[in-house]
Amino acid sequence: MKALFALVRKELAVLFGSPMAYLVLALVGLVTALLFFDHLRVYNQILFVYTSNASGGFELGTLPERVNLEDQVFLPLMEQLGVTLIGIVPLVTMRVFAEERARGTEEILMTSLLTPSQIVLGKFAATFCFVTLMLTCSLVYPAAAVLRAGLGLPHLAAVALGLFALSLALAAIGLACSAFSANQIMAAVSAYAVAFVIYDFGWLEPFLGAGAGKLLDAISLQPRFVGFAEGIVSLADLAYFAGIIGTAFAVARLGLDVVRVR
Amino acid sequence: MFQHGGAMYEAGIERARHGVRVEATGLSRRFGEQLVLDGISLAIEPGETFTLLGANGAGKTTFVRLVIGYLVPSSGRVTVDGLSPETAPRAVHARLGYVAETSRLYPDLRVRGLLRFAGQVRGLAGPALDEAVERMLLRFDLTTVDRRLVGNLSKGYQQRVSLAQAFVHDPPLLVVDEPTSGLDPLQQFEVREFLRSLAGQRTVILCTHDLFEARALATRVGVLRAGKLAALGSVDEVLDAAAPLDLFRAAKAMPA
Repeated sequence: MKALFALVRKELAVLFGSPMAYLVLALVGLVTALLFFDHLRVYNQILFVYTSNASGGFELGTLPERVNLEDQVFLPLMEQLGVTLIGIVPLVTMRVFAEERARGTEEILMTSLLTPSQIVLGKFAATFCFVTLMLTCSLVYPAAAVLRAGLGLPHLAAVALGLFALSLALAAIGLACSAFSANQIMAAVSAYAVAFVIYDFGWLEPFLGAGAGKLLDAISLQPRFVGFAEGIVSLADLAYFAGIIGTAFAVARLGLDVVRVR
Repeated sequence: MFQHGGAMYEAGIERARHGVRVEATGLSRRFGEQLVLDGISLAIEPGETFTLLGANGAGKTTFVRLVIGYLVPSSGRVTVDGLSPETAPRAVHARLGYVAETSRLYPDLRVRGLLRFAGQVRGLAGPALDEAVERMLLRFDLTTVDRRLVGNLSKGYQQRVSLAQAFVHDPPLLVVDEPTSGLDPLQQFEVREFLRSLAGQRTVILCTHDLFEARALATRVGVLRAGKLAALGSVDEVLDAAAPLDLFRAAKAMPA
């Protein structure tokens, strides 16, 4: 177990030893801030329009149902953050296995007392730690919106859980792609491709017919995430994300074996 | 789980303290259609410094990668102390240290951190780990650079770190792939002195295409040519035999 923790610590040290970790954290903070303030600006403009039209004052009760902080700022921000994660998470995961293989340091690990499964587990754990930190940074503005809008902590917790599950699933996909490559760019590109394809299979519906819609929704990431964004925590959705992570783990484990056998 | 302890672990390591036996039987390895290693059979005795000679691409690195369990044989088998890297990888890895062809290290880690990591993933913990790291820093004269990033070290220092990380758990078998490649003469001398100091104490498998190095260190030599074992014996035996490589004729003319 201590060897496993040593691997996790080493992974984090290597990650924070490169500028990429800080760039990614800064990028997430910047993108979240830009999106948040853009939605807030639009929301304020809508409020201004209603205020201008009201004579002698403006009352919140007179606003249309969907003109509120939750629908105009919070929910769209969460959905965009989900898409943003697709763009950012592979930047974190691309190097995890590929760099190790390209540098030849994989041989240090493979001649240690760690089993291949433990190597994969250690790398997943370290990456998940970083992704959690990244997510915490990105949740500052949405948290402010939630508290300001009076949506309550349960809603924020549900959204955070959804984003967490989505991020970990994307990280797991990225790690699985990295485990099959010695080239970081290839690892990132393949992770982008897989993530974009499974984010929303809805694009297949015109080809497969409307009947396939439910099935496509069931296997897509995005519809699973929307429930969390609306404050609904479903065990089925959590199991779906856990399934993605489990499958990616098995694929990454296979990646280590393929190198030894092929 | 991976503590440096346990009666069986200790007994196995203690028994192997002065080296382990490595045996290859009909060992072959293909990469796709290409047969890189073809039916290698040999035995390396405990305490022996066995040198595998051959030109680039002869199959030396593939052979050692099979010994350490990084690759799986296409056919045949290899054992370390009677254990197969395929079926008992942890037991085999507990008995070996591996130094790759070029310094394959983590450039973003500091020297001390890297040695601690290498010790931890090879079962060391607590005072045993601290003691092993200090011992390696002293033995390889790394105390003055122990807080520097590995990536910022010179090639000679990186090779010292590479040897230190492989030897941190004091393994009975050291597998070293072209350890002096790219080093200046003084650095080459230091590496050879270290390997010479292990003579009779540890089993060493040394891959090289440097004939001088083979002469200086080897108790026995195996010559690989196009994946086949072209010759096997002491340096002189190999040279006096059918002289499978012109390379060796040249070596014979060299001063010992």
